[in-house]
Amino acid sequence: MIGRRLLTLWAASVTLAAYAATAGLGGATPDVAVERPLSSADLAALKQKFRRPAATPFPKGNPFTEEKAALGKSLFFDPRLSRSGSVSCATCHNPSLGWSDGLGKAVGFEMKPLARRTPPVRNLAWGAAFQWDGRADTLEMQARMPITAPDEMNMTMDLVVERLKAAPGYGPMFQRAFGGDDPISARTITAALATFQRTLVSREAPFDRWIAGDETAIGPDARRGFELFNGKARCAACHSSWRFTDDSFHDIGLTATADLGRGKFAPPSVVAMRNAFKTPSLRDLRMQGPYGHDGQLKDLGAVIEHYAKGGEKRESLSFEMKPVELSDRERRELVAFLDSIRAEPAAVELPQLP
Amino acid sequence: MTFPTLRHVAFAGLLLFSAAPALAAEIEIPIHHTEVADIGVTPKVGDTLTFVNHADIAHNLYLTFEDGTVQTLDTQPPGTTKRTTLAREGHVIVRCWIHPIIRMEFDVSDK
Ligand code: HEC
Ligand code: HEC
Ligand SMILES: [Cu+2]
Repeated sequence: MIGRRLLTLWAASVTLAAYAATAGLGGATPDVAVERPLSSADLAALKQKFRRPAATPFPKGNPFTEEKAALGKSLFFDPRLSRSGSVSCATCHNPSLGWSDGLGKAVGFEMKPLARRTPPVRNLAWGAAFQWDGRADTLEMQARMPITAPDEMNMTMDLVVERLKAAPGYGPMFQRAFGGDDPISARTITAALATFQRTLVSREAPFDRWIAGDETAIGPDARRGFELFNGKARCAACHSSWRFTDDSFHDIGLTATADLGRGKFAPPSVVAMRNAFKTPSLRDLRMQGPYGHDGQLKDLGAVIEHYAKGGEKRESLSFEMKPVELSDRERRELVAFLDSIRAEPAAVELPQLP
Repeated sequence: MTFPTLRHVAFAGLLLFSAAPALAAEIEIPIHHTEVADIGVTPKVGDTLTFVNHADIAHNLYLTFEDGTVQTLDTQPPGTTKRTTLAREGHVIVRCWIHPIIRMEFDVSDK
């Protein structure tokens, strides 16, 4: 909380003075006259808010075991979880494409385009609500949704259980992971999938090394981008914490469609949830796009232009969306910052399916 | 994280009004960033809760009562107040439509 107040204070000082720290960082001429520099204590407090956690949390009801994670990995890559036998979770959440599909909208059962973009399944152990609209409270609950959605894998949990029981190798794997006489069930399948997904964590990015004290880990552009992100551009009002998301729902004023997002679940009086979608994490962003819940933002230029304009003015538009003037240089700095929170992807060894 | 001073405020609000035992109490509950402060007391039916948004972001709280009824308060921009009078006893969960990490629970007594 102290950090938050500092930030507010600091943001105010930025509007007044802007980029104070640039002078010391890059030596380039600031766009706005420097009046009050961001003190090194303020910067240090701000940096603390983005420090990575030491360990990955697992819920009490579904603790981590190696066996469960290995089983979950097999299931994640196994197309037998789909009716056609040809679509696995990894078809859409492809590790070679940052655990997503690189598409503006996902392609579902019988190649039908879906309404939304596939989000990467990364750093979700820390998530508070899942799906673009938050309709799943846990990863365990979420895992059932794509399997049983008619336009995705189009299965029933009973049929998945039947198929896995028929595949000779799975019995022993479930046995090792869960024990019991009859361990293959909807509950254990989703528990294993959730456990595997919780192990998918971004690796250390240059930004993390900077936060940890290596002053040379990121360049001056990225550092100025970080200040813009927290100050003048106010991105951190929503893209907060080390994951750069508040796990919350906002209408950022994109072109509205029939998809009301969280508005479909909230009572109609909750205007703020109309057209509201979950703030995506910005770690390990694919720099080529497309972006947004339905891919309507084609590239980073379009994203930043959208925020500069402040989004379509409508009743549901988030209070945190305000137009902001950003120079070409500031836009480049924001992009340099986004690039600094990208890490080398972890090597993925594909499972041999039983 | 806790806000001892602010919790004090909530407490003080209650004491002030409960001095006259027949009167309903008014309990002030501050919101800071994405935390609704603990209520700190057991309110009773008829008491009024006042949620004060000290954060610089908007909230939209809803209360789920033990019998399953849900009461949604309006969107609450920074610096604004939302008020509700507790109509029934039992366990109450306070959550926010915008920020699913917000959660505060308390019990309402019948008198
Ligand atoms: C046809 C493509 C497709 C397949 C197959 C698929 N997903 Fe997804 N996944 C999506 C899309 C699209 C969304 C967003 C859905 C929404 O918000 O309504 C999503 C969302 C998710 C999320 C939520 C992420 C977040 O940030 O909230 C998780 C977790 C997830 N999928 C896991 C899985 C698992 C596990 C499987 C296999 C059992 C799977 N997916 C199969 C396309 C797919
Ligand atoms: C009001 C909260 C809010 C603010 C402020 C905000 N964002 Fe976002 N951001 C979101 C939400 C919500 C989405 C997804 C919106 C959607 O698809 O409907 C998003 C999407 C994005 C995306 C696309 C990511 C993806 O995977 O699709 C990028 C990049 C991004 N924001 C960067 C920024 C930058 C840079 C700023 C500051 C200039 C910023 N955001 C300010 C909430 C916010
Ligand atoms: Cu809220």
